[in-house]
Amino acid sequence: MSEARHTVVMKAVADPSAQPVIEINDLVKTFEGRKVLDGISLKVRRGETLVIMGASGCGKSTLLRCLIGAHRAEEGSIKLFGKDIAALPNKELDAVRRRFGILFQSGALFSSMTVGENVALPLKEHTDLSAEMIDLMVKVKLELVGLREAEHQLPAQISGGMAKRAGLARAIALDPELLFYDEPTSGLDPIMTGIIDGLIVDLSRTMNVTSVVVTHDLKSAFRVADRMVVLNNGRIVAEGMPHEIKTHQDPFVKKFIQGPVEAKTAVFPKATVEKGTAAVARNSMNFGLPDE
Amino acid sequence: MDVVARLLGALGRKGAVWAEELGQMGFLVQRTLKFFPRIRPEPTAVQMIRFGIRAIPIVSIVNLFVGMILAVSMSEMLIQLNAVSHTAQIVAIAVTRDLGPLMTGLVMSGFAGAAIAAEIATMNVNEEILALEAGALSPIRFLVLPRLIGVMAMMMCLTLIADVMGMFGGYLVGVTMLGIPPLNYIEINNASVKWSDIPHGLIKAAAFGMIITVIACRQGLKATGGALGVGRATTNSVVYSIVVIIAVDLVFAILFYWTLSS
Repeated sequence: MSEARHTVVMKAVADPSAQPVIEINDLVKTFEGRKVLDGISLKVRRGETLVIMGASGCGKSTLLRCLIGAHRAEEGSIKLFGKDIAALPNKELDAVRRRFGILFQSGALFSSMTVGENVALPLKEHTDLSAEMIDLMVKVKLELVGLREAEHQLPAQISGGMAKRAGLARAIALDPELLFYDEPTSGLDPIMTGIIDGLIVDLSRTMNVTSVVVTHDLKSAFRVADRMVVLNNGRIVAEGMPHEIKTHQDPFVKKFIQGPVEAKTAVFPKATVEKGTAAVARNSMNFGLPDE
Repeated sequence: MDVVARLLGALGRKGAVWAEELGQMGFLVQRTLKFFPRIRPEPTAVQMIRFGIRAIPIVSIVNLFVGMILAVSMSEMLIQLNAVSHTAQIVAIAVTRDLGPLMTGLVMSGFAGAAIAAEIATMNVNEEILALEAGALSPIRFLVLPRLIGVMAMMMCLTLIADVMGMFGGYLVGVTMLGIPPLNYIEINNASVKWSDIPHGLIKAAAFGMIITVIACRQGLKATGGALGVGRATTNSVVYSIVVIIAVDLVFAILFYWTLSS
């Protein structure tokens, strides 16, 4: 993390008069009686990159969906740019949505459109730009993510990493003030992961975008984060700067950051080892070896 | 007594689910029509080609055979009554009033309904619908409206083709197998077709087009659970469309030929 970047973030955080871009208060979301989010409160300041981490099923994707207005929470409130999104009529919610972009886990490119058409769609629908200007903007955005050559290809013809970069180009088409990233590096090889992480950092620096990254990829999280939040069972168990999270004393955070002790020795519990899939796993690990 | 109570309870629950589903579909139609002034012409034309032009061969073949089957199955009785020339009349009335729109509706349930449900369900599980919503773009305007208008318009055109092909099927059997003179067959056929039956058929066709699209879009938009969800949405779309089309056809038959004609 560069010094200049920290300076920008620290300035924003230190200024108490600065309106947070995102303000979540006591958010509760349940699915079939189970609390997936349980009293989440969080603020994200302008220009910072907040990483939300947690194990699979901890509620981080649900939180992201609540933030973009796809899920309505039962309790609590979410304010984006100072507006309570649950209370907004559709038209005003759309106006808020035009101020942010989102990169989905799969890229979520529209499969019937080329990469270029995907990027052009928000520009065509939400601006009065001429066709020539839109074409130019598409080229600029694709250039920014290193996908200039894929403009006329269909999503089915490009790799997963390229699809994510194309999704990112579409997300930044309208020069948003806020960017959400849903598992931006999942399923990617280390080289592509590095490229995507670099793009997140670069976009934040060059466009001064506020970013919220949902991930369980630790390496990637520590590369891009200004501040981190760790979720467990729908609750925030840790919040702080990356170095604070690294040395956090919460048992779950320790386990999440360092990995469980058991995993290092790869031991199956004795009680379950003789039956079911654990036994199958053990047998396949011992394949070809003489019985003890 | 306990069994009856449980049965009634189960029926009630199922009824409530169906009532809610019906309400949701009504809401979908209302929201879709609200976007009509902002219709996107190019995607609508694409849907017309996809589900209209490309369906012409299958709709033609099916209705040709339906006309032929009708003529063959009626022939035995008509020969006994010494009224074989009435084959043309029976086929013309049956096809223009009912079988043309009905068979086209059933074919389109599979041809268009299954494709629409699978496509939208796949988009849903791939987060494309969510991406549209998050980008302040309405999936209703982008996906449902062009399909609804495209299928409804093309259903009317296809029904006209189906009517002609059905009557032609009857003609082929009547002339080649039953020995009815060609000019005689055409004369009886033309005299039997009531011009009022054509618009009735077109109204039915438009209604069936709406049923097919709304059910398919609704199934697609609520699909969850990956490939399994896509499969379920597709199957449900076709099955529900077929049942609803047949039921609505009965309602139209009562309305057009009993209520309005009396």
